[in-house]
Amino acid sequence: MKRGFSSFHPLVCFFYYIGTMSVLMLAKQPLFLLTAMLILLVLNGVQDSGRGLRQWWLGLVLIFAGCLFIYPFANHRGTHILFYFHGNPIMLESIFQGGITALAWTSLLLLFLSYNVIITPEKFLFLFAGVLPRWALLTMITLRFVPLLRRRIVEIESVQASKGTSARRGSLYHRAKAGLLIVQILLTWSLEEAVQTADSMKARGYGLGRRSRYIPYTFKKKDSVFLMISLLLLALSLYGCWLGDLVMAVQPILETPLLHGREWLFYVFALGLVGLPLGIEGREVLLWHFYKPEK
Amino acid sequence: MGDRHPLTWLGISGVILLVILLQWFFPVSLSVMSVCVLIMMIIPFIIRFERKRITGREIVLLAVLSAVAAVSRIPFAALPSIQPTTFVIIMTGMVFGAESGFVVGAMAALVSNLILGQGPWTPWQMLAWGLIGLAAGGLRNTRLMQTMWGRCVFGLGAGFCFGWLMNVWGLLALNNAISWKSLLAYYSLSFYFDLAHALSNVVFLLLFSRSWMNILSRFKRKYGLFAD
Repeated sequence: MKRGFSSFHPLVCFFYYIGTMSVLMLAKQPLFLLTAMLILLVLNGVQDSGRGLRQWWLGLVLIFAGCLFIYPFANHRGTHILFYFHGNPIMLESIFQGGITALAWTSLLLLFLSYNVIITPEKFLFLFAGVLPRWALLTMITLRFVPLLRRRIVEIESVQASKGTSARRGSLYHRAKAGLLIVQILLTWSLEEAVQTADSMKARGYGLGRRSRYIPYTFKKKDSVFLMISLLLLALSLYGCWLGDLVMAVQPILETPLLHGREWLFYVFALGLVGLPLGIEGREVLLWHFYKPEK
Repeated sequence: MGDRHPLTWLGISGVILLVILLQWFFPVSLSVMSVCVLIMMIIPFIIRFERKRITGREIVLLAVLSAVAAVSRIPFAALPSIQPTTFVIIMTGMVFGAESGFVVGAMAALVSNLILGQGPWTPWQMLAWGLIGLAAGGLRNTRLMQTMWGRCVFGLGAGFCFGWLMNVWGLLALNNAISWKSLLAYYSLSFYFDLAHALSNVVFLLLFSRSWMNILSRFKRKYGLFAD
C-alpha cells in the first residue's frame, strides 16, 4: 500500500537519503547525532513496524559497541587522562571521538535500513533507467534470472544428491568440488536458454529504436514542496557544518558536547532534515486518529 | 580503447573538481573524500559500457553470468566465507574480456545487494568485484593467466585484494585515528576470512578453470559473442 513517505516521488526520497547521509557523515556533534539516531530508530519502527530492526539489531549493537570501544584503546592523543588501562592512558578525547563515530555509523546504518524499505528495487531501477538505460535493462534481466536460477539450482542439487554428489556431506575438499560442479551444470543449462531469450527479444524489436518505458510515478505538488524544504534544510545544515557549529572539536582543544547560542539554530535545521519522513508519517497517524470530516 | 567519448572526460574532470572543492570546504572529512574517489573510479567504466555497441544476445549473456555469479553461493550455504562468485567473475573476464568482467562483477554485487538489502558497502563491493573482472580480462593474454600456476596466484591475490578493498569502508570509521598499528590490527581481524576466500579461489581455479574456460569459449565461438 502506498502511504506516508513511500508515496512520494522516488527522486525526492532518493534526494532525502543522499542529503541526510552527507549530513550524518559531516556533522560531528554528539548531541545532534544522538537525537538523529533516536529519530531514525523511531522512523524504522514506524515504517515496517520494526521488522528491519528486529532482523538487524545485533549488527547495529555490535557496530555501535565496536566503534565506541576500539577508539579509546587505539588512540591515545589528547590531554585529559581519565584512567590507565594496562599502562595505556585512556583519554576523554578518544572516548568522545569513539562516541561520535559510533553514533554516526549506527545512524547511517539505520538510514540504510529505512532506505531499503522506501527505495524498493523497482524505484531504484526507475531512478537509474533515465540516466543509464542499458545498466537498468541489464539489472532488470539479471534480477529476473535470479529467482529462476535459484529454483534451478535446487533442482540440480536434488538430482545430484540422488547420484551421490552433494555439497552438504563429506570433506571440505569434496564439498567445494561438488558445489562448483552444481554451479557448472547450472551454467551450461542457462547459457543455452539465454540465447533463446535474446532471440525472442530480437524478434520483438530490441535495439531497433529508443527503449520506451512505463512511468508509474508522477511528480506532484507535494513532491516539489518536499524537495524545496529538504534542499533548504540541507543547504543550511551543510553551512552549519562548514561554520563548525555542527562539529565538536576534539583536537587540539576539547569542546563541550553541549550546544550554545547559534549552534542551536543549526541543530534544529539539521534535525529538521533528518526528521522530515518521520514528520510525514506522524502527520498521517494524527490525521487517521483525529481527523473529523466536515458533514 | 579508441572510442572514448568527450563525456567521459567531462565526467572525470567534474568529479575531480568536486573533490578539490570538497577538500577546500571540509578539509577533515576523509570519508567524503574516499566516496568521491570511489565514484571517480567507477564512472568511466559505467559510461563506457553505456555507450558501447552491443547485441541483445550479449546483454542477456552478461545477465545470465551475473545471475549465476550471484546465486552460486547457494550450494555453499553451509560453508561460511566460501563462495565461487569471484571464480565466476574471473572466468568471465578471461573469456569475454576486461569490460565484460567488470560489468559482471559489478552487476553480481549490485543484484545480490538489491535482493539482500543495500548498505554503505554496496558501491565498494561493486568496485572490488568489478576490478577483479577487469584485471582478469586485462591480463588474459599474458603468461600469468595462461598457465595454471599463474591463475592460482591471481586467484590468491584477488581474494586478499577483495577483502582489503572491502575493509576500506569500515576503516573510514576510524577517520583520524589511522596509524600503522591500528591499520595492522584492523586488517588482521579479517585475515582468516580473506585467507578462506583466497584459498577457495585457488581450489576452484585449480579444479575447474579449464572446464569453465572450455564451456564459455565454445559458447562464445558458437554464437559469435564479443568477437575481438
